[in-house]
Amino acid sequence: MQLSAQRRFERVPWGLLFAVLLTAVVGIYNLASASRPPSAPMWGSQLLYLGVGLALVAGVGLLDYRLLQRLTVPLYVLNIVALVALKFFGHKAKGAESWFVLGPFRVQPAEFMKIGMVLMLAKYFHDDDRPGAPAQGFLRLLPAAFIALFPTVIVLSQPDLGTALMMLFTALTMVLFSKPTAPVWVGLGVAAALSLGVLWNDYVREQPEGDRLTFVRHKLKKHQDGRISGWLDPTSDLRGTNYHAMQSKIAVGSGGWSGKGWMQGTQTGLRFLPEQHTDFIFSVFAEEQGFGRALLLLLLYGAVLLGSLRVALTARDKFGAYVAVGISAMLFWQVFENIGMVTGLLPITGITLPLLSYGGSSMVSVMLGIGLLVNISMSRQLFSS
Amino acid sequence: MNLLGTQREPRELRPRVFVVGGFFALGLLVLAVNLYRLMVVRYEEFLALSVDNQFKDVRVRAPRGLIRDSRGEVLVDARPSLDVFITPAFCQRCVAEVIPRLGTLLSWSDDVVTRVSDQIRLTRGPQRYQQQLVQVDLTRDEFDVLSSHQFQLPGVDLEAVPHRHYRSGDALAHVLGFMNEVTAEELAKLNSGREERPPYAMGDYTGRRGVERSFESSLRGQDGWVKQVVNARGEVMRDELGNVLKHDEVPPRPGRNLVLSIDARLQSEAERAFPGTAGALVALDARTGFVRAMVSRPSYDPNEMTGRVSPQRLAQLNRDPLQPMVFRAGAQHYSPGSVFKVVTLLAALRTGTFTEASGVSCGGGYQLGARRWRCHSDRGHGLMHAHEAMRGSCDVYFYRAADLMGIDAIAEAGRELGLGSITNFGVAAEVPGIMPSTEYHNRATPGGYQKGMALNTSIGQGDVNVTPLQLAVAYAAIANGGKVYQPQMVERVETADGQLVEAFSPKLVRDVHITPDQHRVLIDSLVAVVHEAGGTGGRSRLPDVTVAGKTGTAQVARLGAVRLKTHQMDYWQRDHAWFAAFAPAEAPELVVVVLNEHGGHGGTDAAPAAKAVLAKYFELKRLDREAFGLDYVPPRPPPAVRAPVLMPPTQAPDDGSDSSLAREDTGGGPEDESPARPSLTGKPGPEDAPGGN
Repeated sequence: MQLSAQRRFERVPWGLLFAVLLTAVVGIYNLASASRPPSAPMWGSQLLYLGVGLALVAGVGLLDYRLLQRLTVPLYVLNIVALVALKFFGHKAKGAESWFVLGPFRVQPAEFMKIGMVLMLAKYFHDDDRPGAPAQGFLRLLPAAFIALFPTVIVLSQPDLGTALMMLFTALTMVLFSKPTAPVWVGLGVAAALSLGVLWNDYVREQPEGDRLTFVRHKLKKHQDGRISGWLDPTSDLRGTNYHAMQSKIAVGSGGWSGKGWMQGTQTGLRFLPEQHTDFIFSVFAEEQGFGRALLLLLLYGAVLLGSLRVALTARDKFGAYVAVGISAMLFWQVFENIGMVTGLLPITGITLPLLSYGGSSMVSVMLGIGLLVNISMSRQLFSS
Repeated sequence: MNLLGTQREPRELRPRVFVVGGFFALGLLVLAVNLYRLMVVRYEEFLALSVDNQFKDVRVRAPRGLIRDSRGEVLVDARPSLDVFITPAFCQRCVAEVIPRLGTLLSWSDDVVTRVSDQIRLTRGPQRYQQQLVQVDLTRDEFDVLSSHQFQLPGVDLEAVPHRHYRSGDALAHVLGFMNEVTAEELAKLNSGREERPPYAMGDYTGRRGVERSFESSLRGQDGWVKQVVNARGEVMRDELGNVLKHDEVPPRPGRNLVLSIDARLQSEAERAFPGTAGALVALDARTGFVRAMVSRPSYDPNEMTGRVSPQRLAQLNRDPLQPMVFRAGAQHYSPGSVFKVVTLLAALRTGTFTEASGVSCGGGYQLGARRWRCHSDRGHGLMHAHEAMRGSCDVYFYRAADLMGIDAIAEAGRELGLGSITNFGVAAEVPGIMPSTEYHNRATPGGYQKGMALNTSIGQGDVNVTPLQLAVAYAAIANGGKVYQPQMVERVETADGQLVEAFSPKLVRDVHITPDQHRVLIDSLVAVVHEAGGTGGRSRLPDVTVAGKTGTAQVARLGAVRLKTHQMDYWQRDHAWFAAFAPAEAPELVVVVLNEHGGHGGTDAAPAAKAVLAKYFELKRLDREAFGLDYVPPRPPPAVRAPVLMPPTQAPDDGSDSSLAREDTGGGPEDESPARPSLTGKPGPEDAPGGN
């Protein structure tokens, strides 16, 4: 049942696409400042990545919706295989095995795994539909947990704590969205309380040196441990583990209402910010553009999320709705985690800011998600009046 | 509206989507509130931090002041020292490879390698981008070796850094002093209360001993500061033209120059003429107390002490039995022997014990109680008056005087002349010496004071101990009619461009009451020592200037039954040879005191050096007069313009006394034939006549 081209055209979520494009353009403008001389100018290649991304949006958007559903399982398996293969053929950078080097490109499988996981979860919830018993109990959530946790654990072992956390929260959002039963809520609440308890026990509680009882802390890598303890005590070790967190806060805070001006940020220009064109790109923006425009940027992300959730509202079936919610959650958690980390709200975990951070893989994975949303939106049956 | 009738209709999901939307909105709100907290509420705080971040106070070292002699010749300045620095951030495999390699090339001991490794390993953060000093003052050879291995030494830099340079080597070492690194405790003390831009930094050098220490605050300038823009690595940022981006700058103020009263030409003559292994020579202006030349032997090289002196070398210097680190002119006291006899004579004249005409018969000894005090001449000198007694250094004459007046009269005269207490020379450590009195002996000697002690004291033996500097001050007072001056070595402090900051006037300590008659008797007898037949100081006679002087041969070990010749004795048993002199006798200008430690006889082993210095002094005076057409007067700095005083002066200016006093020629050039002067044609006195017993 093909609709006419015009009907299809009308169903493209133009608001969402506009918000995405505007954000990406702001990102390129900001990147030009973040990679000012003597750094290599990166906004050119970012523009290229944006073009590739838009092509992907078009491509994925025009795919047959049913093909998409059928492709879900192979995509998921392929992504898992890629993640495992990374263990053997991956390129080591900054202590983490995150990259495949394919000719001139560096591909980060974890970025695609996120999408694969969202699709797989959506497919599971779609297939598991039981009109008589809509609520999801523990047993019904077990396969979902496996779908989410298996790739998450592999990503965590790379180690890529940021992406793993983001996947975990995205999956959690989808699980909660699936309307679990009260015991599941209670169980998750208990799990959250336990995590907090472990955090408190390992990091906050005063324990005698040499006779510490820790549950997780001793298993973490030293830099991860330092980031968590630094996050809980931001004024400690400012020359060491907390140096980057502090410098980022200084950059953001010194922006004030109106900012220091494009290309005028001193924290940026003098390289006090680590990874200022990727993970810490928001600090550059906040320092140079000020509070007002940073707020506008947040609203822009809000618009993107709004557009995504609108797609979920109008989806043809549960699969579409779940994918749309999953993609939205993925974007939300990535934004939340990134901005939270550069402003000292969350511990430093390497994670990019969608559409603002430099990088092809990040751009491609975001655009794949947007493409899926376009596809879902265009495949819907009806206008929701 | 379920056209397909699918059971998987997402309708039931719709409310949940709104819940999710609400949750997202809440999340973004949290981020926004946090941004507001950082960017609006705490803006000032973070702005200040970002400003702190980008500017670095870079210290610009102020050059240390020069030390010049009275004519402007540079004695101490700076030379480039090739120092080795390591920048830890650029030094790959630093501790594992580079430092051991450096150690091999520079022949470091294991201790040094460990110390440097620790030093580099302990650097943190931005410090890793700063150069760490690991070795000062490379030799030319070491520099070449390192340069040729440059590529095996990443992060190692060789740089020329100004380093204190003592041009005359070991000459004047004890009074010029040397420099080395400030210790942590000193740093805390020097910088206390000045945390912002502290004047001293770790690794800075500070003056040790001598004028380097006592004039540290003048010599050391005020370091300047440049607020430079730096990046996170501490690299200095430059504009398009390559100029360093400066935000603010305080230029350094160079240290003050010191002008000493030393005349370098006289000093080198004194160094050349000094006869012995150990001892001291002091040449003092009799009219002002300013030091013109000063020798203390053996000496050490302050360049070595300021540079890379090894602990072994330091231990060697400290173990040396000749004690090269000791400032012998002021920080070591000796029995004066017969040079002390002027004090006894002055005491005798002042107390009325003797007059010029009082005679004592010398039979080669003096009986007091059961004991006989020997004269140095076993045969005896016959009838002695003040004149002959001094000329021949007859001990019996002075024994008699001491017997009559007791020790306290001598002690009083000695103390007034400055013996027994430090002279407040200021630039070097001093000992007070000993001027024994009844009270002293009752306190210090078992059995208390006995008359024999006065006899010993009268000829400068026994417990009386003086430093060469004290003796020079005392002789200056005798020469100038009783004015005891505080010896000084720094004439003035000038700014780097020659503006006068502070001039030091002669400092009169005491005016000893000496009547003109007593003065004449003292001078006449001292002139006789040098110029008359039978005088013991004939070897200091000058052809055209009247010299007044006194020899001394201070006994160190107890006399045995047989008198030994100097060369028959062990070095440490030999007598100290003294000679104290001033000239011209009619209007004394220069006092010279020579102490030749374990040198033998004053007349033969000390007097010639004094003669050489006096001769040079008058030769220089003649040369200066020929060159300048008048008596050489050092150029006076322009008076009025005084730089704003940034540091308090080291010493309060004198009570307005005229500094030109030091320059006034009191007349009596060498050509002026003095009627009082004895004939110069007499043949030199017997050379073998020793000074004392």
